[in-house]
Amino acid sequence: MSNIPLSVLPKGSKAIIVGILGGRGLITRLMQMGLTPGAMVEVVENQAGPIVIRVRGTTIALGRGIASKIIVNPL
Amino acid sequence: MYKHNNDNDIKSKYGCNIVVAVAGNPNVGKSTLFNVLTGEIAHVANWPGVTVERKEGVREFEGRKLCFVDLPGTYGITSASIEEIIAREYIISGEPDVILVLVDSTAPERTLYLPIQILELTPKVVIALTKTDLMHSSGIHVHVDKLESKLGGVPVIPVSAIKGVGLKELLRTLIEVAEGRKGRKEPLKINYGALEPFISEIEEVIKDSKALKNYPIRWAAIRLLEGDDRLEEILEKHKELDKLKKIRELKEAIKRSIGKDPQELIITARFNFVDSISREVIVRVKKTSYMHTFEKILQHSILGPITSLFLILIAFLTAFVINTGFPLNIIFSLMGLDEIAEIIESYSLSSIFEEIFTYLSDFVNTILSGIAPEWITSLICDGVIPGVGAVISFLPLIIMIMFFLALLEDSGIAPRLAVSFNNFFSKFGLSGRALYPLVIGLGCNVPAVMSSRTAIEDEERVQIIFSSPFIPCQARLVVILAFTSAFFKSVIERALVIVSLYIMGILVYLITSLIIRRLLFKIKEAPELIIELPPIHKPNAKVVWWITWDYTKHFLRKAGLIIFTLSIITWFMLNYGPSGQVNDITESYAFIIGKAISPILKPFNMPTETSWKIGFTLFQGFIAKEAVVESIVLLEGGERINVADALRALNINSIQAFTLLLFITLYVPCIATLAVMYAEFRNTKLTILSIVYIIAIAYVISLITYAILTALQMIIGG
Repeated sequence: MSNIPLSVLPKGSKAIIVGILGGRGLITRLMQMGLTPGAMVEVVENQAGPIVIRVRGTTIALGRGIASKIIVNPL
Repeated sequence: MYKHNNDNDIKSKYGCNIVVAVAGNPNVGKSTLFNVLTGEIAHVANWPGVTVERKEGVREFEGRKLCFVDLPGTYGITSASIEEIIAREYIISGEPDVILVLVDSTAPERTLYLPIQILELTPKVVIALTKTDLMHSSGIHVHVDKLESKLGGVPVIPVSAIKGVGLKELLRTLIEVAEGRKGRKEPLKINYGALEPFISEIEEVIKDSKALKNYPIRWAAIRLLEGDDRLEEILEKHKELDKLKKIRELKEAIKRSIGKDPQELIITARFNFVDSISREVIVRVKKTSYMHTFEKILQHSILGPITSLFLILIAFLTAFVINTGFPLNIIFSLMGLDEIAEIIESYSLSSIFEEIFTYLSDFVNTILSGIAPEWITSLICDGVIPGVGAVISFLPLIIMIMFFLALLEDSGIAPRLAVSFNNFFSKFGLSGRALYPLVIGLGCNVPAVMSSRTAIEDEERVQIIFSSPFIPCQARLVVILAFTSAFFKSVIERALVIVSLYIMGILVYLITSLIIRRLLFKIKEAPELIIELPPIHKPNAKVVWWITWDYTKHFLRKAGLIIFTLSIITWFMLNYGPSGQVNDITESYAFIIGKAISPILKPFNMPTETSWKIGFTLFQGFIAKEAVVESIVLLEGGERINVADALRALNINSIQAFTLLLFITLYVPCIATLAVMYAEFRNTKLTILSIVYIIAIAYVISLITYAILTALQMIIGG
């Protein structure tokens, strides 16, 4: 399947991170929290507002803007 | 930035043999472990030049004295944030003998990343595997021995701070590693595969660099390849621009030949290393948690915000009703049930404290009068005792608010509340974390300012402290109600006045936060919402108590002294004038100051005598906002007059009354708020800037409002 932003993934879906479109600061922050290319994410909640995901055993809430900069490959 | 200065270094300060720097992700249990290891935090200050908090503690164990320095909680040691820069500069400084890195045993796969990064910098690392009491219930098992060997001999000590497990072993290991008898000898060298030749080339380029002479070469080379603002800045400062150019060329070469950004490759390589270890060393068993439903509710887009507000409301009501009776007392008196309101108030903690201190004051008065000179008696009974009383009377409120905050934080609920409200607050340069301080501020600004520490970033924390004084607190409501009942007849008018004042206060709060963020910190975006949501669990009583007591001690030490001192000064100003001790308040220094202030009231067209009284009143209001009403009554004759009549005797019309009310709502935080602002800023310049800003804004807004309202009246009324 094609690469899409994390922000459009529905609740319950899983995907592999492909890359992050952002400045060095954002990339560093996100990657240091475990969102690295090749890591698997699971979408816990995606309604209005921030998106909640699970990655490397941790639950994280991300603002929509940030989530739209994370490109993933859905499983 | 952090310089290892031999004159005031930590070893000579405390006389310790070993210095331990404590690092870890946020939420990993660092404060709890720090508290348990050091028993009592010896010192809280700022890291030099910034507003980030630095905690130091001391512990004696097996004949040695260990000093602990708490590094800011970070996910890495890059230059991504001020906290990370502080952490790594301190590690490099040479002052710490050993670095204690915390790994959360309930999230080991991710939290192992930080120690790996630190190990690339220095071999003298001890890993503490925290929260082992929760590890089992999360269905996780870590093979500690295997982990130690995979890390090349880095000691890993499982601990549970709250159960007191593993602490002695940890202390012993810290000593052994610091004294060179255990642990790694060399920094960790991760194989970066295709990047290795590039790393070697950069090492060649920088090996004779004067700018980077304090940094380990391989580490600096890798960092430069990843991209490090601070190292690049240092190279620029030392004019080693040719080196910078070479490094940039190499990075471009990597992008061309491998097709990816070196930073991405490097961080991925580190995590691959972590993953390879995790796979061998961590076992997970699926376990269902009964907190799951609660987590789901908080995450829901509609139920989430409602539940959040509900929880905070419970905290607010419990704390304030017990302490001052607010808002029950106001509600009952508005309903006409004044007797019930009075009963609630008289049984509130602050009333009880007030009675105790009044009794104490009278008691001491009877003892001293006749024996001691009058001024000493007055100083003690009207100055010192009420001064101490002022500080102590805040204690129960602060303890309770901090307790609820600690409860929300430790249980894991706080970050979820922040997520619910983030959208709204992000429009004003804040995160959802600002909700709790905002709601608390409606009761009292003092604990609201103290709750600012709940912010995600340091800039946000400063924004909250700066803006909080604009939130209309309970004391101001008292003044608002007194004025509205004196100057406005119909219920609708009164309601409009009250609501508009609250809206304005909160609006100024929100806009101020935005202004501070954009102009002072020059940041355009709201705090990036990247929040870890730890599993919701039953808060631990010990941890909650520690956190609460930590904050309370902080208040007592810093703010307490200021409040007390200012109370004494106020006593002096009210009881003394140029002619010595005075009985008529209009001869006191306070009144003279009030008169001196009054010219600023000229644009509001008030009669001169009123201006003086208001000037004095504003000065009193600085001490405590409720004092505004008291002081007006005092000036108009004291006991014989009721509040409404006293206010009307000021001879001002309703527009002037409203504008004055607006000014009182917005201007200058009361002494107690100012004291905690200083205690939280830990920075005199910021405190002074905030005072100037607040007074200026209050004045300008009041002026504009007066002008608009007067103009409107002329157009409509005629």
